[in-house]
Amino acid sequence: MAEVATNVSEQHTLEIRGLRAGVQTKEGRKEILKGVDLTIHTGEVHAIMGPNGSGKSTLAYTLAGHPKYEVDGGEVLLDGQDLLKMKPYERARAGLFLAMQYPVEVPGVSMTNFLRTAVTEVQGSAPSLRQWVEELSTEMKRLRMDPKFAQRSVNEGFSGGEKKRAEVLQMELLKPKFTIMDETDSGLDVDALRIVSEGVNHAKDVNHFGVMLITHYTRILRYIHPDFVHVFADGHFVRAGGPELADELEESGYDQYLPEGVSESAQA
Amino acid sequence: MSEKEMNTTSTPDSDGFRRSGTTKPVETAEQKARRAQVQANASEAQRIENARQKDRELKNEQSASTASEGQSAPAEVRMPRYDPKDPYKFPAQMPSSADSMIRSFDPADFPQPKAKDNEWRYLDMDEISEFMQPFTPTNLAQVSVSFEDGSAVPQLSDKQTSRELGVSFGQISKNEYPAGSVSKPVDLTAAIQWQVTQRVYWLNITSNVEKPVIIRVHSNNAERDALHFVITAAANSHASVVVMHDGLAHLAEGMEISTGADSTLNFTSVQQWDEASKHVGTERIRVGANAELRHRVVTLSGNFVRLRMDPDYAGKKGFLDMLGIYYVLPGDYAEHRTMVCHNQADCKSRVIYKGALDGKGARSAWVGNALILPTAPNTDSYELNRNLVLKPGAIADSEPQLEIENGDIIGAGHASSVGRFEDEQLFYLESRGVSEENARKLVVRGFFEELINQIGVESVQTALMQRIEERLAKGESAAMTQVLEDK
Repeated sequence: MAEVATNVSEQHTLEIRGLRAGVQTKEGRKEILKGVDLTIHTGEVHAIMGPNGSGKSTLAYTLAGHPKYEVDGGEVLLDGQDLLKMKPYERARAGLFLAMQYPVEVPGVSMTNFLRTAVTEVQGSAPSLRQWVEELSTEMKRLRMDPKFAQRSVNEGFSGGEKKRAEVLQMELLKPKFTIMDETDSGLDVDALRIVSEGVNHAKDVNHFGVMLITHYTRILRYIHPDFVHVFADGHFVRAGGPELADELEESGYDQYLPEGVSESAQA
Repeated sequence: MSEKEMNTTSTPDSDGFRRSGTTKPVETAEQKARRAQVQANASEAQRIENARQKDRELKNEQSASTASEGQSAPAEVRMPRYDPKDPYKFPAQMPSSADSMIRSFDPADFPQPKAKDNEWRYLDMDEISEFMQPFTPTNLAQVSVSFEDGSAVPQLSDKQTSRELGVSFGQISKNEYPAGSVSKPVDLTAAIQWQVTQRVYWLNITSNVEKPVIIRVHSNNAERDALHFVITAAANSHASVVVMHDGLAHLAEGMEISTGADSTLNFTSVQQWDEASKHVGTERIRVGANAELRHRVVTLSGNFVRLRMDPDYAGKKGFLDMLGIYYVLPGDYAEHRTMVCHNQADCKSRVIYKGALDGKGARSAWVGNALILPTAPNTDSYELNRNLVLKPGAIADSEPQLEIENGDIIGAGHASSVGRFEDEQLFYLESRGVSEENARKLVVRGFFEELINQIGVESVQTALMQRIEERLAKGESAAMTQVLEDK
């Protein structure tokens, strides 16, 4: 049962340059991303931390191509290809994966059916049924997921922890080049957090992808070690540093990075 | 609502082009269009005002009737405990539908229907009025029966084979048992149908029936016809019955289903009528003590389909599992009413009706009632209606009702939703590499498959799923353009 490692010696780059995006609200157009710059290489873990309402999730969804967010300017280049010109499924096929904070339920579509379709569409060819069943059950076991979940409808009735594990399962199977994880740690208890983190680390070791880990708390960083830590506030990056920056944030909080007169509790 | 969706009917220019000399300036195309738009706006505004006026009248009527009853709120609320020796010891403060319901074989006992009546409020009275007057049925609708594998179902008169196979089928007279044995018609159309029907068919299930029984109703005639079916399942019997409807018809149909103690009956009714057909059906259902009735309704086509089901229980511990699937095309109307009456203790009911509406002009209505009488402690009932609007412009009405006259029950759950095709679900699937087209396919097919697979008769499941697939594939490219335009 040899694990197929992909992208072993491949190096990829995800470059975000001057990304600006906004959304339509009842009160009119609201600008959320105000010039985001970031570069991630294969194998790197970048932790994106910041106060609530800073636009971290917006960044994640804009990269994935959610129709709600309108891009005003900038580029997102994956190995030189501009993702912003692509539809969500094209971006996924180019190698981008978004592990969502609140995965939606899709009743009537079984997990195994959905996953097999996704893998087929991303890889370009369908895995043989036997190979598929084996791979699926191995990965589910690794994440301590009950095998019965394969037959259940996508995310239907899943608890928060189960949904997050399902997201990591998809990541394992789709083997992206870059993974964005949107507050994966929210709502997870200690054991679930450890299992999910192990899954991410394992996938990273086997498939060598770059990780953009969006989080509000430092807890997950004890399990998934970041190479770089960035502070995101008011729609753009305000500070970058190594892993020790996370400890500093733990101590001092985000207030110093907010616009004058605003505290995090007011923004939330 | 976008301008496109408004009903813009351009009125023909009455002046026309005047060739002969005239001082009146010729209208430009732009002016003509603007005038047509203004007229359309005015008629739309008028329509909305009329609807509001109707609503106001209805509200005034309702408040007038409650005022006349002279009920004043009780000074204190006493919570009575159920007394098995006298279930009616503490009468309900408010009358339930059972108190005011008229049930009779005589159409004259029913008041003249009005569009505002709860019974008829969702439909267009013009479409159903032909079934509210007595008529002479053509008797041209063909009724045939066979087992799923094509072999013959014995006649009622063939006692030997009937006993062996556990079932028989044939025509009986309206005056013979069991015709008319399962309670009485609940509305005017049912009473009229009973009055005019000349053909009554009886499916008599006496013991275990190994193969599913398929009854086919086929018609090629748009003149009004009437049919009546009685299906009885003896105690301890197990059987599976499917009634398929297709062709062109204006059919008033009555169905009586009665199941004996400890029996299990799997009953499915499928409506796949031609586009101009009308089908008004009423079913009176009685679930036996400790019996299980799985009742499925699949309505796929037909200009006007209205099915009303009134189940109740013959004894304790009965289980009624109702499932409804409807897929309404533009211009069609499908109404389903599941009016469950819990009249016995310890009984359970599950009503799940799900439908998809395929765009502008598709209309559906679902009314579900769970009436829990004082004689039904320990009831466990649940009703759900979910509507999926595949393309904008459809109208789905959903009305769950609960009438609980016994507080000692396990539960009376209810849920209802009407939703646009979920953008979030589409995005979720797409973000995993599944193309837009395939994502839509997955979600819609999943919606139907989940339901169709519960019918329990494989050949029927396959045929229906195929029909749905064809319909989805046909509508798909047109749908994508519409969805993209709307964004």
